[in-house]
Amino acid sequence: MNKIRNILEDFDCEYIENYKRVWLKTKLSSKDDLLNVAQKLKIEGLSSLSTVSPTDFLEENIMEINYFFEDLDTKRNLWLKVDLPRDEKLCEIESLTPLFPSANWHEREAFSMFGVRFLNHPDLRDIIKSKDFEGVYPFRLDFDWETHEKDIVNNMNKIVSSFKKEQEENEVDLDTDSSETILNWGPTHPASGPIRLRVHCDGEDIINIDPDIGYVWRALEHLVTKKDFIGAIVSVERLCFMDNINSMVGYAMAVEEIAGVEITPFAKWMRVLLGEVARISSHFMGLGGFFNNMGLHTLAMWNMDTREFFLDFLESYSGARIATASVEPGGVRYGLDMTMFDELQKALDKFDTTIDEVEAIFVNNPTMKLRANNVGVLSADEIYKYGLSGIVARASGVKTDIRIDEPYAAYDELDLKYITQENGSAKDRFVMIFEELKHSVDIIKQAKAHIQKAVDNKEMDPTKDHLVKVPKKLPKGEAISRVEWARGEVLMHLVTQEKATSPYRLKMRAPSFNHTMMLNHLLKGQTLSDIPLIFGSLYVCQGDLDR
Amino acid sequence: MSDIFFSAFIFPGLLYALVWTVGLYWFFRKFMAALHKRVGPSFNGIAGSYQTLFDLSKLLTKESITPVGVNPYLFSMMPLLALIFAILPSAFIPWMDGFVVIDTKFGLLALVVLIGIEPFLLFLTGFGSNNKYSFLGGIRILTQSISMETTFLLAALSPAVLFSTMHLGTIVEQSSWLSLLILFPGFILYFISLLGLLEQPPFNIPDAEQEIVNGFYTEYSGTNYFLLQVAKFAEFMAIFAGASTLFLGAYKGLFFDSYFFFFTKMLLIAIVMMTIRAATPRITLKQMLIFSWKYMVPLALLNLAWVFFAKSIWFMGL
Repeated sequence: MNKIRNILEDFDCEYIENYKRVWLKTKLSSKDDLLNVAQKLKIEGLSSLSTVSPTDFLEENIMEINYFFEDLDTKRNLWLKVDLPRDEKLCEIESLTPLFPSANWHEREAFSMFGVRFLNHPDLRDIIKSKDFEGVYPFRLDFDWETHEKDIVNNMNKIVSSFKKEQEENEVDLDTDSSETILNWGPTHPASGPIRLRVHCDGEDIINIDPDIGYVWRALEHLVTKKDFIGAIVSVERLCFMDNINSMVGYAMAVEEIAGVEITPFAKWMRVLLGEVARISSHFMGLGGFFNNMGLHTLAMWNMDTREFFLDFLESYSGARIATASVEPGGVRYGLDMTMFDELQKALDKFDTTIDEVEAIFVNNPTMKLRANNVGVLSADEIYKYGLSGIVARASGVKTDIRIDEPYAAYDELDLKYITQENGSAKDRFVMIFEELKHSVDIIKQAKAHIQKAVDNKEMDPTKDHLVKVPKKLPKGEAISRVEWARGEVLMHLVTQEKATSPYRLKMRAPSFNHTMMLNHLLKGQTLSDIPLIFGSLYVCQGDLDR
Repeated sequence: MSDIFFSAFIFPGLLYALVWTVGLYWFFRKFMAALHKRVGPSFNGIAGSYQTLFDLSKLLTKESITPVGVNPYLFSMMPLLALIFAILPSAFIPWMDGFVVIDTKFGLLALVVLIGIEPFLLFLTGFGSNNKYSFLGGIRILTQSISMETTFLLAALSPAVLFSTMHLGTIVEQSSWLSLLILFPGFILYFISLLGLLEQPPFNIPDAEQEIVNGFYTEYSGTNYFLLQVAKFAEFMAIFAGASTLFLGAYKGLFFDSYFFFFTKMLLIAIVMMTIRAATPRITLKQMLIFSWKYMVPLALLNLAWVFFAKSIWFMGL
């Protein structure tokens, strides 16, 4: 930490302060220093750039850009801010993509949503937003959504015709003498989900891939600013339906930090318990999806069978199976009826009786190993370079897990360990999900036993302790929180204004964004058969890809 | 005259083959559901057995879309041709002693040719679809059938060599426990190459749903798709019957000969095929080619040598 502080002291900073246990927070006075600072930080070991998040301050007429640098090895992180003028013509800054390839899509996103131009960016095109957004920046505060909607209706014909034109001209630029073609892999494809990959291929061989995302863009980061702090959880949990609880935990932690509220131990333990149940339900889908992509649906069906029992527990707790909305700022939404634990026990029993079969037939499947052992290999260096996290990072042997690195909820009281694989191939990522699944069940057992014991000893009151009051109006402030989501690191950056009743800005950094960025890198030179396999092994969810 | 009509269209001809096909379709669904731990519809008929008929009739009557820019005759003719060629092999199968539609000296040859021609028809469906995915599927099916047919032919030769005849009835008649043992390696090779010819897992590369959107099926819908599906299952049935005839002694059984044994043998092959299907992911085209030319073809040649060897011992009376 001190080394980073020394580096920063060489430059003109408005302040340098410690933030939480593993963060340093600073603000550069001049945007010209950014490149030099970044260079030195990279040499120091902060080699991953988690995200780039602009905040639009309309009244002060500035665009504040937040950079989050991370060192996955020594767990030192830096939150770096820099101010830009808000005016569209002057709103430009040096791109960090040449130094930190992980910034690539994040800078493109900042460009399409806020109109921040990044100089020397290799590929500064619009991302996520569709063509009818041309020329405007939807997340700027002076963007008029009502006019925009009218524009869409009025220009419907133009939008349709430009879409058709694009379809026609899809292959016009190609050399007519070559056998190169463009395959649209998605958005309506059996294995793609709502994402489109423009696959340039020569017969079965892939030349390169250009992912086109944004088919499920719901502008969640904008939606939350229209809701109050509790209503916003509904938007936050829709980051991805498969693991919705952990994203709510992240948001709730950020709100609690600004409000200065400490939640009860019971609520903390419940967050662990619910979070792990959601993680398990997500991992079941991920495991099944991996095999689905190789044309084998048996594992997905078997997993569904077991997953239903875990969803039964969520239903008995919150009334909903998937979108539970059960974590809110101040704790968890509902008290716990101790008989609900019977439901959970049923799920755990079912898991214990079926998991060995799954391991024998699918995890040790020789044909799967034949196909997945040597494809999609990511080295540890690439993990740092491209800012990958979660399953994907750990499969390459990088020890990173927010639950251990920066414990939240009650994770610091649990017995946790880093689970890693070595080679970083598609198979390792699959085995990784499987091992994590078992680990999560272990955590649930620990949490369940702890809650049960504490309730028996009257240390916790499951009907009253679940929620502490969080004021409706929050002071001016900002906070970041990180959670280990099923797919990797989710970073929430929350900004509030004085006497705020709704978030001013919420940036959700979602892991699938980085993972999808890797597709071209991994698939170039492979064959068509490897697309679904590698895509499935990256464990991408289109919900948090587009937000 | 009426005898010929009866045997061609009723038993053991067309109607019989279609009943088998639908029955196999139902059996595949039910068995697969059990392996998948799925619960299917259970209220239409006994144990939901009508559901298959409903689904098939729904598919038959749905709108069949012919895409713009394809040759409509080629596009719509191919599924029909595929169905006809898929049903034809069963005409050469001796279902019971004497119950065979076309009794010819070259039964085995007809069987091999008619089974082997099917992939080329499917290639033409992909070729005629004017769709990139279908075309890729067509190319894949061509690559795969050429690789797999070599083994298929060499393996199918082994009973002919052993019994010195291509007449299927004679092959069944002469089969015994000993011949079953001698032909067993041949049967394994025949079965594996069949998986390849029928595009069954792990060789379902040409119609890989997740890679090339079902390949040559992509543009087919409604009636045409129905015909292709029925053709697939008719082909299954013919092939199961062919395999049990060539290698497993068809209707010959323990203690007495009966159609029941034929039935059981065919279902057993179906069960093995489905179990593989439920537990094995797809391999890539490259791996299939390596597997086929590096391992299967040499093994098939070795197998032929083994059959020659066994036959010479047989003749020496050992």
